[in-house]
Amino acid sequence: MKKELTRTLAIFYCQNVPESGEEVRQSLEKRYGKSIRLFPMPCSGRIDIVHLLRALEEFADSVYVITCPEGSCKYLEGNKRIKKRIERAKSIIESIGIEKERLNLITPVSGDDKVSLASYADEVMEGATKLTPSPVFKKAAHGAGKTKRK
Amino acid sequence: MSVLKKVLESGKFAVTAECGPPKGADPEAVIKKAELLKGKADSINVTDNQTAIVRMSSMAACSLIKSIGLDPILQVVVRDRNRIALQSDILGASAIGIRNVVCLSGDHMRFGNQPQAVGVFDLDSIQFIKTVKDMRDESKIVGGDALAKAPDMFIGAAANPFADPLEFRVVRLGKKIAAGADFIQTQCIYNMDRFEKWMEMVRDRGLDKKCYILGGVTPLKSPGMAKYMKNNVAGMDVPDELITRMQGVPKEKWKEEGIKICVETIERLKTIKGISGVHIMAIEWEEAVGEIAEKAGLLPRPII
Amino acid sequence: MITAEQKPMDEIRDMIAPYKKILTVGCASCVAECAAGGEKETGALASALRMACKMAGDEKIIHEKTLDRQCVKDFVIQLDEVIKDYDAILSLGCGAGVQAVAEMYNEIPVIPALNTEFLGETRDQGLWIENCLGCGDCMLYTFGGVCPLARCSKQLMNGPCGGSQDGRCEVDPDVPCAWQNIIDRLSSFKALDRLDTIYPPKDWSKKRGAGPRKIVREDQKR
Repeated sequence: MKKELTRTLAIFYCQNVPESGEEVRQSLEKRYGKSIRLFPMPCSGRIDIVHLLRALEEFADSVYVITCPEGSCKYLEGNKRIKKRIERAKSIIESIGIEKERLNLITPVSGDDKVSLASYADEVMEGATKLTPSPVFKKAAHGAGKTKRK
Repeated sequence: MSVLKKVLESGKFAVTAECGPPKGADPEAVIKKAELLKGKADSINVTDNQTAIVRMSSMAACSLIKSIGLDPILQVVVRDRNRIALQSDILGASAIGIRNVVCLSGDHMRFGNQPQAVGVFDLDSIQFIKTVKDMRDESKIVGGDALAKAPDMFIGAAANPFADPLEFRVVRLGKKIAAGADFIQTQCIYNMDRFEKWMEMVRDRGLDKKCYILGGVTPLKSPGMAKYMKNNVAGMDVPDELITRMQGVPKEKWKEEGIKICVETIERLKTIKGISGVHIMAIEWEEAVGEIAEKAGLLPRPII
Repeated sequence: MITAEQKPMDEIRDMIAPYKKILTVGCASCVAECAAGGEKETGALASALRMACKMAGDEKIIHEKTLDRQCVKDFVIQLDEVIKDYDAILSLGCGAGVQAVAEMYNEIPVIPALNTEFLGETRDQGLWIENCLGCGDCMLYTFGGVCPLARCSKQLMNGPCGGSQDGRCEVDPDVPCAWQNIIDRLSSFKALDRLDTIYPPKDWSKKRGAGPRKIVREDQKR
């Protein structure tokens, strides 16, 4: 049985996530190869719905957004805004038949031990072994009818 | 000739009651209800698609009750008709012998069984009152065209002493009277204190001298009804003591207690300076009108 | 501005179903302001539709482009250079924009992705409120800057009605009673006596008295 991971994850993260500098990003991309694509942002609030959808459209089986802890956003509201946008993005993808679990928000509770980017990456990559491929990349059966609509 | 007008002008305490047309085309349904009210009131209000629920037209129902000898009061809301239809209906009503009209805004379409209907609101209730007055007194319609024959109407309007803002309510009442209202029927009263406060403001402005005011009453059927009106009907003021009072009697005695409260309210109304009568709205309980009028010493109605 | 909201996804998919090459056109004006049809929303919708088509085995080409405004011919004409590549336009403009595009390219179907709603203001982030009916005869001075036609559920000019309670409209507790607002506003200007006047019936002919309206300005013509 093939154990090789063929899923691809997109991880958007705020640059204030501990130990998330450029070197860390490069080493993670080296370690996980094509399975991971990392997107640093000045603030998670800079992420728009269209970015999340484009990631799912182009390569991601699953998308993760890592924000600063609640109450700790350097721009005050960024992590609140992205939370609401993810909710809306979830309802958009549900309406076209993509499971809303393919969009994930990681907001640490304040006061937790500062988890590094690499730890998050390792955690989500491990969880990804259980992930089914996104319906966007499954070859539609020849002559397939329309996907089930809500 | 309007019976209500005659009674009010004679200085006697007037009684009006309400009759709601059926949700169907059966004339018997109207006649049956109207028979219950015969001799219990001077004139009878016939509602106009109340709560925005489709019912037999007020005009048709008025005509039916007139045919058994009652004096109808045509209620007209501006929600469903534009100025052409409204003026036309006034001419028609007068032509078939209806002599009283009450000009109302109407409950919003949202509350009824046709929430997708457009709300016309071409005129508001005050513009409509003025329109009827000009038709009657100057024989002309909106825009100035002359009428071949003026309608004969005793013009009424509604007032709600329990809606907000309290202080402005009397200003609006003043506008309705200035526009031409001959008589006013108020929203049903449960909070007498607030009502008396409003009447004080009314008297301060001399409005009681310019217009006949009838206090509205509705008998409670149950504590549930009192609670519903308190919480779900806009512009109603139902004091908690009344709900407690209704809850304090066993179920078999609810209606009796509701009528008792109603009679007490009427007795108080009789003592208020500036009140010329009572408007009994016994919704879907027309049989109660007779009992209430009797117990409140309002029967027999005078023949003038 | 004009507000709108996106139609349900299924409805949009049904309308674009017969077409193979679709240009999704956004508008950077009013609908961008109300987050329904601007560049971001256009990108998001196009992406979602492409994914939906892919999953259904439906080989459509869906591209996107956002114009500054869709209701002005001089902007719409920018589509000239690309239009021949498509057999339908999915417009995220308001009704005015959709129709302006359809007028320009009347050989190809223009499909509305939005339901246009009302003339209003951005009262707060994420909150848009209707406040103008376009009656053609503005009375906002008289009523202290609060329009009784657009903001009173019964369009009363001599309000309030008997359903006004605690400054709320009987139709919906979330809707403020416009007449309470008018009274408060005029009171603060010490002009409450303006409401002693009985305002006569509205001249509705200025709104639709002669069918759909137009404005012609000779000094603005070529």
